[in-house]
Amino acid sequence: MHTDSRPQQASAEPLLPERGHEVGYENGPVTKVPGWHGLIAWDALLNGMATGLFLAAAVSELAAPAVFMRVAKVAYPVALVLLLVDLGLLVLDLGDPSRFHHMLRVFKPGSPMSLGTWCLTIFSLPLTAAAALSLLAELGWDFEWARLLAVVVGLLPGFASAAYKGVLLSTNAQPGWKDARWLGGYLTNSALVMGCGEFLVLSALMGQTQAIAILRTAFIVLLVLNVIPLGLLFANLRPIHAQLYTREQQWRVGALIAAGALIPLGLMLLKGSVLSISVAMIFLLFESWLVRAVYVKIPHTSPLEVRSGE
Amino acid sequence: MASREQELSALPQASDPPRGRLSVLLGRLIRPYLHDEPHGPLPELLGRLIYPFLHGEPPKPQQPTGFYTDTTVCIGCKACEVACKQWNQLPSDGFNWSGNSYDNTNELSATTWRHVKFIEQFSHESPSVPASPDTEESESLLNRWLMMSDNCKHCVAAPCHQACPTGAIIQNEFQNIYIQADICNGCSCCIAACPFGVITRSELGGHSHKCTLCYDRQRDGLEPACAKACPTQSIHFGPIDELREQARKRVEQLHERGVPQAYLYGDVPGETYSEMHSFYLLVDRPSVYGLPDAPFNPWLHMMGDYVRSVAGGLAAIAVLLVVVFLLKP
Repeated sequence: MHTDSRPQQASAEPLLPERGHEVGYENGPVTKVPGWHGLIAWDALLNGMATGLFLAAAVSELAAPAVFMRVAKVAYPVALVLLLVDLGLLVLDLGDPSRFHHMLRVFKPGSPMSLGTWCLTIFSLPLTAAAALSLLAELGWDFEWARLLAVVVGLLPGFASAAYKGVLLSTNAQPGWKDARWLGGYLTNSALVMGCGEFLVLSALMGQTQAIAILRTAFIVLLVLNVIPLGLLFANLRPIHAQLYTREQQWRVGALIAAGALIPLGLMLLKGSVLSISVAMIFLLFESWLVRAVYVKIPHTSPLEVRSGE
Repeated sequence: MASREQELSALPQASDPPRGRLSVLLGRLIRPYLHDEPHGPLPELLGRLIYPFLHGEPPKPQQPTGFYTDTTVCIGCKACEVACKQWNQLPSDGFNWSGNSYDNTNELSATTWRHVKFIEQFSHESPSVPASPDTEESESLLNRWLMMSDNCKHCVAAPCHQACPTGAIIQNEFQNIYIQADICNGCSCCIAACPFGVITRSELGGHSHKCTLCYDRQRDGLEPACAKACPTQSIHFGPIDELREQARKRVEQLHERGVPQAYLYGDVPGETYSEMHSFYLLVDRPSVYGLPDAPFNPWLHMMGDYVRSVAGGLAAIAVLLVVVFLLKP
């Protein structure tokens, strides 16, 4: 008996495997990708911006209070806002955000995430105090000694909050991340560069000429210095980049990062106006975000997807 | 270990481990909010806030236990997968055709704590002439099935345990790695840290889950469900020292029987990784089974990474300070 096979095929169509699926286990990824997605790139950026701004303002103010005190009083509240947004992203990135306080259940110095959470929590207290007392001072209630005490107390946890992030990402089994020995060095250094740039922008907006002159020089030196850990980081990541990206894609990203580093440097060397400082800072933030995004994307990227241009 | 499945219902059901004084006090405070009817949003919130801070006293250490999986006798029946899902009340993964031999669950995950792998090693060329006795052995090596029931390795120095910031991942009294589901907040650090890709985050609650080595059954003197269900005794459960001895004898036996490539994976510590309390007898490279050839504990790099991180920051602060001191009026 003859029957048309097409309807039968349609009704009993098997669930076909996905195209390109590897048979066997040898060539597949062994590790699982943590579900952090793109949020962690923004977290790494905001963490650097908040801690870097605080550290740059605190160090400058304590070293030369007459020059930097006015700008620092504005910088602390800005750093607090950046930190609060960053903490919000960290909570959102959890699988169960309503359990965020479980992070403070134990203190495990051997766990970079535990150390970082405690440092961020402790840092938020003197930062909040410094920000609040700075705002109160503007309103006429000046508790200068208490504000300076809060700034000094915030230095160590602020620095630790900047330093833990790279170690958190490099201390794991993910391809690429596990080889990034200089990620922590780059991110901490980058936080200070961004912080110095932000502090310079605030000084320029407030018309603090002495602060601008000093910070512009520091910013130029820091931009040059930052190339060293960035270069070391890319040397660490070269093998995994070669697996994930085509040569053309590597050049494209490299060119964008180089532009993000060189344009602010050029602008700073040429002119110290509010406009050039602001534009330089925008380019620096773009470059800093791009480095973080490219790096964060590594475990989420399969060579096949990238090479086929998806 | 003696099986006492029939006596299970008669056993006194063990509750949480005994707690310290402070935890007992806190426990009394919030008990009404945890076990009784809700008294309103505020007490419920209070209960949720205090609950994770109740630390129990750790139970007395017991004899370390684990799994020894002899892959040479696995027949790929998936009874272990089914028993694991049934006992632990894990949801089905669906009836999917993966295109990878008889594997339909593909990987270990938050809902699949046992995963049977199927490796087909067949030569595509059919012999045109009858094989000589010399070539039979080499052809049988090329034409074979490898099957392996995979699960959490319960590493002695487990990266997931080291990474966990909440203390949800513990090494329990049997020296097995256990995730306390009521403490985990789904931060995913354990997922990133595991070099074997064992853990994932559940889409239902957002928490990490993996093999518990049937902690509940062990506390009641029962062997884990997968070992109990295995019809070929590919999965052995018991005191870890006894398992290692048993496994070494089996390797020697296989060598004598003409399987010189048999070896144990994870029974002893390597240069870069600790021993595992779930180890395997394999007959091919680890990567063939989807295992890392040389597992590496990421924590070996941590101190150096911290040094570089601090150095990067201190160098920038030093530059800023020097410039400020040189240029300030």
